[in-house]
Amino acid sequence: MKGAWVVFRKELLDALRDRRTLLVVLLSSVAMGPLVLVLLSGLVAGVERRADARVLLVQGIEHAPSLRNYLERQTYAVKPAPADFEHRLEASQLSDPVVVIGPDFETEIAAARAPLVEVLSSSANPAAQSGLGRVMSLLRGYNQEQAMLRLVVRGVSPALLEVVQLQERDLAEPAARGAQLTALVPFFVLMAVLYGALNAALDTTAGERERGSLEPLLMNPISRPALVLGKWAAVAAVGMLIAVLSCLSFLPGQWLLRSESLAAMFSFGPREAALFIALLLPLAGALSGLLMAVAIRCRSVKEAQANATVVVLAVSLLPLVTIFNQDGEAAWHLWVPALAQMTLMGRVLKGGALGALDLALPLLLCLLLAAASMAYVARTLRHRATQ
Amino acid sequence: MIEVIDVERRFVQGRGRRARVVQAVAGARFVAADGCITGLLGSNGAGKTTTLRMVASLLTPDAGRVLVDGIDATRQPAASLARLGVLSDARGLYPRLSARENIVYYARLHGLDDRAAAQRTEVLAEALDMRALLDRRTEGFSQGERMKTALARCLVHDPPNIVLDEPTNGLDVKATRSLREALRRLRDEQGKCIVFSTHVMQEVERLCDHVVVMAQGRTVAAGSVAALCERGGSSDFEQAFVSLAFGADGAHP
Repeated sequence: MKGAWVVFRKELLDALRDRRTLLVVLLSSVAMGPLVLVLLSGLVAGVERRADARVLLVQGIEHAPSLRNYLERQTYAVKPAPADFEHRLEASQLSDPVVVIGPDFETEIAAARAPLVEVLSSSANPAAQSGLGRVMSLLRGYNQEQAMLRLVVRGVSPALLEVVQLQERDLAEPAARGAQLTALVPFFVLMAVLYGALNAALDTTAGERERGSLEPLLMNPISRPALVLGKWAAVAAVGMLIAVLSCLSFLPGQWLLRSESLAAMFSFGPREAALFIALLLPLAGALSGLLMAVAIRCRSVKEAQANATVVVLAVSLLPLVTIFNQDGEAAWHLWVPALAQMTLMGRVLKGGALGALDLALPLLLCLLLAAASMAYVARTLRHRATQ
Repeated sequence: MIEVIDVERRFVQGRGRRARVVQAVAGARFVAADGCITGLLGSNGAGKTTTLRMVASLLTPDAGRVLVDGIDATRQPAASLARLGVLSDARGLYPRLSARENIVYYARLHGLDDRAAAQRTEVLAEALDMRALLDRRTEGFSQGERMKTALARCLVHDPPNIVLDEPTNGLDVKATRSLREALRRLRDEQGKCIVFSTHVMQEVERLCDHVVVMAQGRTVAAGSVAALCERGGSSDFEQAFVSLAFGADGAHP
């Protein structure tokens, strides 16, 4: 046990001395989460703002006072379109469609001829395209109002034209779409843990073989299980440090949220942070062990990196199961490390409850995985040192 | 004292039908006495490194025994390693740690406490003339500086038996001389048992009290340089070695 402690202290010091790698991992994993959060909030805030704005861009509104009157009664603000709107719509610089009214609008209406009103958008411009439906139904409303007035003048009941009453009701909150993206947050912390442990795990195993320091190390009177335990503890400590930091980084990240509805949906307080950490610490241990077991077979760090890609890929693809699987959460999800943590973190974010079993089962599986990996590394260590 | 008694070791290369058995050591035997530098001399692939790895409990012999001060290296590896300092073929240091940290790490693994570890490091730094290196990271060390650090690392627990596997590989004249000087002092002042493997004749002629000649995994001759010259029938040690190592099997190069 004392030997394991000596190894742990040295390996941790060694890993923390690797400043450049550590800095990159810290920046990419710890800064990534809040950054994504801020970008997300910007996106959602933009959607909300446009829905609330009720602005219509029109060219030639001076030719159509009756339309202007209708639009203003619908509480829309009419703004003149910018001069080069066609070009700007094509280049996706304008995010609203533009209504173009000809100079003869009122005279044609007076003469009961239908004047042409064009709504310009570009199907290559998704922002303008998304506003197209709103503009079209607004103009149809004007059409309908005018038609009804004409019928009334001729003594026909407008109800004749309306067989059924149609009314549209959008149940989705403007922010709901954006808020779905907060499901990405568990994914980011998961990857942060994995990349945090990756370098240290590779360095203490394949790196040690590559440098030729494993053989002399094994000539010390320390048992192999103690040696592996010390190494694993150091790697896991680095992974856990990253896990804690990346979870805590979401706390201040939350203050940066610009969208109020997103802030309401993404409630990440000390309780959520604590639960995230409780879920991630065992996983950090298990992944450290797994990465070491993969890397001990390799002669160089480069080879180990290629092999570790399998683990990275598996961990990053597993969460997709929750997306592809339409049936929602299945019981077996909790039996797969990484997937279990993803599922449970998602549940924490939605404000759901975690039972004792939900926490205990993944913890137990992670402990088993870590122990099995360490046993494998200890068994392989001596054989590999002399090759 | 290190006793190697009729040790054998084979390796299996490849798998399944393509597997090939290589008999790396097929009966090595020698005794390295205290207060004496024993040279293990052999050409490349003669089984020197494999034999020394068995002495260091890194490999288990298929047959035969290795005794370090009477302790079986296979049955009690921890006890035998505690009485052994090994400078192996692989001499990797930790590049992000200073020379002092590298040495203290091994001291702690040998069970020395912090004070004893620090004190031993100072003593060795003085003896190996490497005080200026101690607090530098080993990242940019020259071969000679690496060797000194690795040697200090393997001597840190003051072992009575020292095993060095081709220690002069890659060293320049100055570093080789200072190593030779250090080994002589360890023998004369502290009466250590030193085993030293090499394929360089001059090393053996200059340094060794007792020479063990290995060829194709076997010990083919043993004795002082003078005795071996006599047995090989030549006053030139190199010629004597060639006839001892290869002549017996008729495989003259």
